[in-house]
Amino acid sequence: MNIETIKSGVKISSPVMISYIALGVACGIVLYDAGVTVLGIGIMSFFVYAGAGQFLAASMIVLGASIPSVILMVFFLNLRHVLMSASLSSFVKEKSIGFISLFSHVLTDESYGLNYTKFRDGNWSPEEAMAMSLSTYATWVISTIVGGAVGSQFQVNTIIMNYALIAMFSCMLVLQFISLEHLIAGLVSAGTTVLLMVLIQHNISLVIATVIASFVGYYLEVRKNRRTKPDIEGSNEIE
Amino acid sequence: MNSQWTLIAGMAVVTYIPRLLPMLLLSKKEISPSFSRWMTYIPVSIFAALVASDIFFWNGTFNINPVINIKLLPSILVFLIAYKTKSLLWSIAIGLGGIALLAGIF
Repeated sequence: MNIETIKSGVKISSPVMISYIALGVACGIVLYDAGVTVLGIGIMSFFVYAGAGQFLAASMIVLGASIPSVILMVFFLNLRHVLMSASLSSFVKEKSIGFISLFSHVLTDESYGLNYTKFRDGNWSPEEAMAMSLSTYATWVISTIVGGAVGSQFQVNTIIMNYALIAMFSCMLVLQFISLEHLIAGLVSAGTTVLLMVLIQHNISLVIATVIASFVGYYLEVRKNRRTKPDIEGSNEIE
Repeated sequence: MNSQWTLIAGMAVVTYIPRLLPMLLLSKKEISPSFSRWMTYIPVSIFAALVASDIFFWNGTFNINPVINIKLLPSILVFLIAYKTKSLLWSIAIGLGGIALLAGIF
């Protein structure tokens, strides 16, 4: 990896780095408030490196959730990375297992968004993708440690800091409205979640709602395709 | 927190597996089209669930009074900003500004 590769990678990542500084500091503050030490925050960011997951862990711990239930929710939250990881796989086919092991660790929603677009448009190498992703990774680790240190020194309104996560999720939600079916799935999920939260008052509501809504969305898509396809087939063959 | 290392280790495992395995294994194989179509509905559903489980509740109970539950009004603003700009940074900045303002007023 030469200097030019690193430069072009880092140049692309600067907007993401800025948002990671803001989010990272906020995340460090809420994690410290939840009882994680500054060292723990640093180690967590280094080995977990999941902004949304780390925020979620902090807010669940504050609400008194058990460790296994936090880990389960983080797992469900991270399942979205399965698709991203799969879709990047074709661009790193030639690379070693070592390269893929590190590159997959630094896969985030934002790094995926940037890398996928760049790879798809051509003139983007796995090395540049790695340099880009590592620069945002380092930014996140340092920012969360700074946030933890700030949280240990000052009293910060955690309702406001936690809202950074909700604002981020809201934006990611809006970006997922790629078709009418996806919009409906989102609305079904939101409605089911609220209903279940009121009825059973447990965080498992989110998981149940996610499974139901994803099948509703998929079912609507299949039904729509079935409705449009017979016309095309019917013109060619009579059954 | 005594159990922070258990938490961190558990989170590390459940975060790394979904990131690593598909990239490592699927570079040779193709995933079934219907499975990958279904998977596209997972993010939208999980984000909707996460947002809804937060913004419609205040101190653990369902609350849609925007004067008490000060997360509601900034959320409308965040949705509009996200739709217009598609920018994570702007959404967070406007959302934080909005809720900080309301926290100061009420």
